[in-house]
Amino acid sequence: MSNILIRLNDVNKVFYTDEVETHALSNISLVINKGEYVSISGPSGCGKSTLLNLIGLLDTSNSGIYQLLAHDVSGISKKERARIRNKDIGFIFQSFNLISDLTVEENVNLPLSYRKDLTKNEREQFVLSSLKKVNMEHRANHFPSQLSGGQQQRVAIARAIAGNPSIILADEPTGNLDSENAETIMTLLDLLHKEGTTICMVTHDPRSAKRATRSIDILDGQIIADKNNNQTNLNHINTHQTDAA
Amino acid sequence: MMYSTVLQDISYAMRLLAKKPSFTILTTLVMAAGIGLSVFMFSFLNTILFKDLPFTDGGSLVIFSGSENGYHNQNRLNSHDYFEIKKQLQGVSEFSLYYDTAVNVAGNDGARRYKAILIAPNFFELTRTPPILGREFSDAENQPGTEAITLISFDLWKNIYAGDKNIIGKLILINGVNHEIIGVMPQGYAFPDSADLWLPIKQHPTQLTRGQAEPIYGLAHLDEGTSIEDVNRQLDLIMQRIEQNYPQTNHGIGAYITSIPWANVQDGDVIIYTMLIVALLVFILASINVGNLLLSRAVERRKETAIRVALGAPRSRLISQMLWESIIICSLGGLIGLLVMAWGLQVTQKITATFFTDPLPFWWEFGLDNFTLSLFFLFVICSIVVTGLLPAWKNSAEDFNGVLRDGTRGATSKKSGRINKLLVMSEIFISMTVLISAVSLTVASYIERNINIGADTDNTIVAKVILSDTDYPTKASRVLFAKTLTSRLENSSNIGDVMISKKLPGFRADTALFEIEGKEYTQKNNEQYPKANNISTTIGSLKKLGVKLHHGRYFNSSDEGLEKYTAVITQSFAERHFGTQSSLGRRFRLISENGKPQDWLTIVGVVAHTAQGDDIYAKIPSVFRPYSQVPKGTISIAMRVQTDNSATIRQLRATLKSIDAQLPAYRIETYNQGIERMAAPLKFVSSLTLLCGLAAVILAGSGIYGVMSNTINQRTQEIGVKQALGADEDLIIKEFMTTGLKQLLWGGFPGVFAGCFLGFAILQLFNNGLSILIIITLSIIMFIGSIVMIATYLPTKRALKMEPSEALHYE
Ligand SMILES: Nc1ncnc2c1ncn2[C@@H]1O[C@H](COP(=O)(O)OP(=O)(O)OP(=O)(O)O)[C@@H](O)[C@H]1O
Ligand SMILES: [Mg+2]
Repeated sequence: MSNILIRLNDVNKVFYTDEVETHALSNISLVINKGEYVSISGPSGCGKSTLLNLIGLLDTSNSGIYQLLAHDVSGISKKERARIRNKDIGFIFQSFNLISDLTVEENVNLPLSYRKDLTKNEREQFVLSSLKKVNMEHRANHFPSQLSGGQQQRVAIARAIAGNPSIILADEPTGNLDSENAETIMTLLDLLHKEGTTICMVTHDPRSAKRATRSIDILDGQIIADKNNNQTNLNHINTHQTDAA
Repeated sequence: MMYSTVLQDISYAMRLLAKKPSFTILTTLVMAAGIGLSVFMFSFLNTILFKDLPFTDGGSLVIFSGSENGYHNQNRLNSHDYFEIKKQLQGVSEFSLYYDTAVNVAGNDGARRYKAILIAPNFFELTRTPPILGREFSDAENQPGTEAITLISFDLWKNIYAGDKNIIGKLILINGVNHEIIGVMPQGYAFPDSADLWLPIKQHPTQLTRGQAEPIYGLAHLDEGTSIEDVNRQLDLIMQRIEQNYPQTNHGIGAYITSIPWANVQDGDVIIYTMLIVALLVFILASINVGNLLLSRAVERRKETAIRVALGAPRSRLISQMLWESIIICSLGGLIGLLVMAWGLQVTQKITATFFTDPLPFWWEFGLDNFTLSLFFLFVICSIVVTGLLPAWKNSAEDFNGVLRDGTRGATSKKSGRINKLLVMSEIFISMTVLISAVSLTVASYIERNINIGADTDNTIVAKVILSDTDYPTKASRVLFAKTLTSRLENSSNIGDVMISKKLPGFRADTALFEIEGKEYTQKNNEQYPKANNISTTIGSLKKLGVKLHHGRYFNSSDEGLEKYTAVITQSFAERHFGTQSSLGRRFRLISENGKPQDWLTIVGVVAHTAQGDDIYAKIPSVFRPYSQVPKGTISIAMRVQTDNSATIRQLRATLKSIDAQLPAYRIETYNQGIERMAAPLKFVSSLTLLCGLAAVILAGSGIYGVMSNTINQRTQEIGVKQALGADEDLIIKEFMTTGLKQLLWGGFPGVFAGCFLGFAILQLFNNGLSILIIITLSIIMFIGSIVMIATYLPTKRALKMEPSEALHYE
């Protein structure tokens, strides 16, 4: 079995708005292996979120190939994409994005409720164990509005990991939190990684980026650096560097 | 300083409104429609029904009418019964009485028909209105056999006598008899509704038998502290006692009082209340819609508002600015509504004038009276409160810091979600209620107007003439008149068949009680006298009218002669009283009122049922007698048009003149016009209600769509989140549709209940049953249901067109 989880090959993303073309991503090629903890950094507007959205099948590329778990997912149907997001991907957003009408428990259960292969009992178990993992089981019946930001984000993490996805995608998970809460979240992610979860996280914060095992830097829609944090050698992907330097 | 702040707020609100002209125009028009339509309905109903009559104590005047089998059908009362009521009834005082009749009055250019009221001497005292010229009459002048006297209306005085100041003491020829004019009533006085002349009734119940005395309407003032219901309860008991004493003639006969205007409503109260409810609901709907539009604008501007709060603007200022938007829109809309309404009331004056051949009841003066204007201002203020309140309420709870601190919208969206749900449910509730009741009324009125009357009414002119006792004292003279008129008209080239009848099919006729030979009518066997319309008609008329013969024969020349006693009955009479047996050759007779037995009538033919009048009257069976056996004074003439209507009418006038120069024809119109006129008030009222229904559909439809797409817009981010978590499109559509369906049920169930309650009551009035209501209700549920579903589906689909990444960041 191959160890490759995600393979992007020559992926481009262009946004067309009112006659303006934004080349958000240009010729991105990238491989993420199982068990990796990848951080993506770069200045605002460089295309970090766009890349994460493509990986998370929340958006489609204009060209290029995307393989997830050795399957080509570039041209699959909306329904199939939804199914993959549900089973294989867990999202953590900057603004938590909990559903305000649902309790903590119901929020965590939400992605599980879309699956047909789980019994009610199994779902309850998954919800409980993931809430325990983020230390929020005592708030199961609260509504999001009754929680602090840090607590909300912990619930969001529980929701992301409840279905045991192949990869967690986090877009600035600490962006809306103070340093103390941010630390709690980062510790949680460390823990998840230690347990073997693959994580891909967008972050502005260099200290957060350092906690990942691998750091990717993006500038103007291109990868300009890709380094392994355990070893210190720079590992430039030099394929498409014309004007980035 | 206060002043300048207010000015600033106004100019800020104006600027905001000017920035979005289409929004401003839309909301203003919605408000105009809501206020205009609603106040119009209230003003209309107030004028015809609720306003006190314009006399001192006009508000306590009541009228006594007769009911039958519980139907308040505005019958006249037996004057003996009324005399009994007067003796026993508590809580009312100043009893008077009258009945109305049509009379011929000779003028310079031939005779004309006027409405005369035969009254008791204290009649004018009840209205606290003395004559402007001359005097009222005394008890002595009300005795039978005294000199003929009359009071005349202001209009008649002006029209016939050119306002002659020396009119008192002059003679006026009424039905061929000279009457001395003793008084002229003030301008606008036409009590009890559209009277031209008032004559002494000259009858006292004790001087006549029960059968002989002319039936009357009673009048009185309600004492302070007594309610109409109190009196009606007493009347029920009194009439029950009378019924026990006269079981055969008074079976099912009751009496009831109403205010003068309400007398015409008969059993139609439910229609009136439905109209009031519908009018109010349309106004509420309009207010809710405008409120919601302003609310969604407030939501659009929440970020701006939040910044202003952060910069130190006091919340009261923000609310005041928002309130000014409401004030401007509601006032402007109200003003437009008021103008349209003023025009509408003018048009109403003209339309209602066609309801009756008589002038309108004197209090039917539509226009922007005090009541209308006060109500208008009240409605404008209410609309400002409702439309301003929604956004203000929303704003008062807004967590502005949360708005600024991007992203955490949890707590606030929950509240606005609840407001939106409440809005949708109220719109569904209101539109269901309004539509079911409005459509029920429309359907009932449609069925009513399309009743099969049993005769061919097309291409025909009808008219009436009154043969007075003075000019046509003998039965033979009337028979001769009818014969001469028929043959002269038929011989003219303009006119085809001519039919003469006491009452033509389709029009309400006098009913009578009969007894059938061989049957016993005692209290013991509980057999009641058959009741039927009693109509005399010239030989050949039934056939020429197209009334189908079922058995036996029509009248023919063998039935001619005052000493003969034959009858043709309708199929409905035969079925009801002879069952499956043949009725031909059977005998029956009018019941005797005064002990003198009537002559037996032999049935020679059975014809198809003719509907004599609308709603409950349409079902009463009829007995026809040859006019040559029972020549009546007031007759209806129907003429088939050969060339054109006006030639026919000219021919009629010329022919009448050639027979009797002093004899006017009145109520000249086409047969169909005459029949339609009977249902014209109902048609008008149901059209008005349907207009409200239509307004409700448009308002509710656009309102529901507006709120739904707002809601879904606000939940776009949530849709994105759910998609990110793996919900596919079908699932999300299903989820939203379920929410829509729930709101449909929550708002729809009470709406269906309220609508059916009114609708059923209305349909019952016209003897239409449950099945029609079920069909109406189901169609409306489907209709509103599809509006809700479409209003949910389209915006959901639109939100789903976005990529999930876009939806996640949708603002
Ligand atoms: N839906 C869209 N339509 C048009 N342009 C877009 C859209 N989404 C992103 N862009 C543009 O694409 C570019 C990359 O955006 P992206 O959101 O990926 O940046 P980012 O690196 O995540 O920035 P930040 O650190 O500020 O979040 C930007 O120039 C942005 O304006
Ligand atoms: Mg970003």
